[in-house]
Amino acid sequence: MNMPMLLAAIAAVLHITPAVVLVKRPDAVQALLPGADAYFAREVHLSTPDAHRLHKAVDWSPEDGVVTFYVGRAGPAAVGALEFVRVDTPHGPIEVAVGFTPQGAVRGVLVTKATVEMKPWVLEAVGAGLTNHYRQLNPGDTPNGAASIAGRAGDLAKYVAGEVDKGVARALAAYEAFYRESA
Amino acid sequence: MLYDLRHADTRIKWLVTCLLATFGLSYVFGALMVSLYAGFTPRGVAATYRGREMSMAMPPETTMVLEHPMSVAEFAKPETHTVDTNLLIQDTHVHVPMYGVIAAALSLVVVGLSLERRRALGLITLLFAAPWLDFAGMWLTKFASPRFAIVTLVGGWAMGVGYLVVAALAVQQMWFSRERS
Repeated sequence: MNMPMLLAAIAAVLHITPAVVLVKRPDAVQALLPGADAYFAREVHLSTPDAHRLHKAVDWSPEDGVVTFYVGRAGPAAVGALEFVRVDTPHGPIEVAVGFTPQGAVRGVLVTKATVEMKPWVLEAVGAGLTNHYRQLNPGDTPNGAASIAGRAGDLAKYVAGEVDKGVARALAAYEAFYRESA
Repeated sequence: MLYDLRHADTRIKWLVTCLLATFGLSYVFGALMVSLYAGFTPRGVAATYRGREMSMAMPPETTMVLEHPMSVAEFAKPETHTVDTNLLIQDTHVHVPMYGVIAAALSLVVVGLSLERRRALGLITLLFAAPWLDFAGMWLTKFASPRFAIVTLVGGWAMGVGYLVVAALAVQQMWFSRERS
């Protein structure tokens, strides 16, 4: 194979496919903050030491150094908080929405975006019960959804479950370190 | 010169025509993809590569919290697709070699056209300069000024113009020129 053909083949193999929305954000908000009638975006602008601490804990530097929690309330009562976390993989980015109860446990997890290539892997993993594994996890717990679907899903679904695990771990770490019920 | 597409074997002409058609198809979908994510305005490109306007130039000395109310409608607003530094590194790594291969393939077509040497050199330069401008604009927009978004737009349009000029000349000379054999 000559050099241009080799380069073209390498580029084609490495090409990242476009992102697709699996769950629209308003739908994710309603599913993970049920009953809320007021919403607030709480942007936590991280100092350098805090950003370093987060990166060391979960290998993550949030975009522009800002972690955003979307807080839901129903009248005076807190409904919980929600984070959208992006995980960059060699196959392109996925986005994971992680909702928390007012007590700080995980209420639910949704994979809201994936690339065209990864979409079937995500659907297979979710179909095998991946997101059920995360419910009731608390900050400090280690998500292991990939292991939870072993035997019920293929290797690529297990691979993408490992990437979702990273997103949930990041959300848990950020929640533990930076979320306070009243800002 | 031995390599002249006007007098090339029909199989070579057909190969070049199929190559140009395939590139044309990919350019059409490339343009559609740009319209979906960054758009064709300097403002849209700047928002994509510069990131959020509210972000601070430097990290604060202590972690700061800002909170503002949101309506459900705001969650439904189309999100600005942003490309952070890590993703831009990945995009550059993946796209630039591919753009180089495409520019090289189109340049090989240019070499086979009946063109003045100066015009052929100019066209080849345009084919390679366009993706350079495209990506230089992205990096400059991110780290220098949002005004450089225009460089990305110029690069993108230059890629389209370069392709159209090469495709039009090649098709005309291969299939419609009086001098073709």
